[in-house]
Amino acid sequence: MKTKLTLLILFAGLLFSSCSKYPPSSIRLTEDLVIYTKYDTSTSFSKFHTFYISDTIKWIDSHDSGYYTDSKAQAVLNQITQNMTKRGYQRVAANNNPDLAFMVVAVKNVNATVYYPGWYWGYPGYYPPWYWGGSGYYYPYYPAYITTYTTGTLMIDMADLTLLTVDSKIWIRWNVYIRALMTGDHTISQIQQCIDQAFNQTKGFSAN
Amino acid sequence: MKKIFVLMAFVILTTGSIQAQQKTSVGFAPGSYYTFSWNTTFTLGDFNDWVSNASPAGFDIGGRYLLDKGLTVGFNLGWQRVSQNYGYQTYYDPDGSAITADNYRFTWMVPFQGVIAYHFLPDKLVSPYLGLGVGGDYMEHHLLVQEIDAYTTRWDFSLTPEVGALIKFGNFSNWGALVAFNYKWTTNKIELYKGDTSKDLSMLNLKVGICLIVR
Repeated sequence: MKTKLTLLILFAGLLFSSCSKYPPSSIRLTEDLVIYTKYDTSTSFSKFHTFYISDTIKWIDSHDSGYYTDSKAQAVLNQITQNMTKRGYQRVAANNNPDLAFMVVAVKNVNATVYYPGWYWGYPGYYPPWYWGGSGYYYPYYPAYITTYTTGTLMIDMADLTLLTVDSKIWIRWNVYIRALMTGDHTISQIQQCIDQAFNQTKGFSAN
Repeated sequence: MKKIFVLMAFVILTTGSIQAQQKTSVGFAPGSYYTFSWNTTFTLGDFNDWVSNASPAGFDIGGRYLLDKGLTVGFNLGWQRVSQNYGYQTYYDPDGSAITADNYRFTWMVPFQGVIAYHFLPDKLVSPYLGLGVGGDYMEHHLLVQEIDAYTTRWDFSLTPEVGALIKFGNFSNWGALVAFNYKWTTNKIELYKGDTSKDLSMLNLKVGICLIVR
């Protein structure tokens, strides 16, 4: 009898140890697009009226950086512009004192740790100093748990130029991270939908 | 897994033939019996809001010892997992952040209970019973959002009224089948997505298994 019980317990133990907690590999959540946004809750979006957005997207990877200027980049930038216009903001040129400015960066398969809060770390040239006139960019708040980039990520930062300080710190009022761009077979249409979602999931984002 | 089941089948068959040689009387009330059951879970209430899929991922082992007439006491120890992929959903946080992603929820649990049960016809081929389990669970509630795994772990208290039947494979057989259905109420709760509103998690369980009967 003891032998039977021992065997039963042994079987149970083997079964326990063979029961996986996590989903099977067929459910590949890591290949799905994720849209993460965060805004400065102390900011009223209605105090801004104009914005500037470049016609290029900065890209960076582990070794190099450059600019996207092709039709896909324009589609992404146009989608941001359309969403801003729909919310009552007016696009203006960089030299026309915009209230807000967008910085759009694509990170390609980089494993990098970002240290928040404080000064944005660096990828040299992440922000175009020819535009900002300085090299320091300050986040008044910080994303709580975006600490590494392990997949392709599109990052959109919205800077508040009305508070540009003498030491060239720029206050970021809104962040967007669209992740997993390069892990699956994602179309530009899907990326545009993600941009729409980023705006839609930010409460109170309107000039009116 | 396949090797485990093959080994298990071998032991069951071997043990059964040894026991069969010892039969001496027509019909008998078990002195004790041990069960191994496949357990399908149907979540209820708040637990159903978390994961609504029925889940066949579960098993249970149990033992019962005859005290007097049809009254038995014993134990149950098991493993269960319920899961569901909810597709794209948006979660908001008061700090101004929001995340939209494909999310996969699952709860992994190890229930353990002491059981008292009454068999109405303990010496018959089919022996129906009513029982009550009292014990607890160890549960892990996971919310997977891409590679982010947000989870909580909790121990709880549980109550499980059960109705079932022990079905011998023959009047003298030391092997039988077990079919049981129970309602389980626990003090467990989930705080990952709705605050404290997901509490007193409950479920229905359907158990179908084999039974080793000892005279």
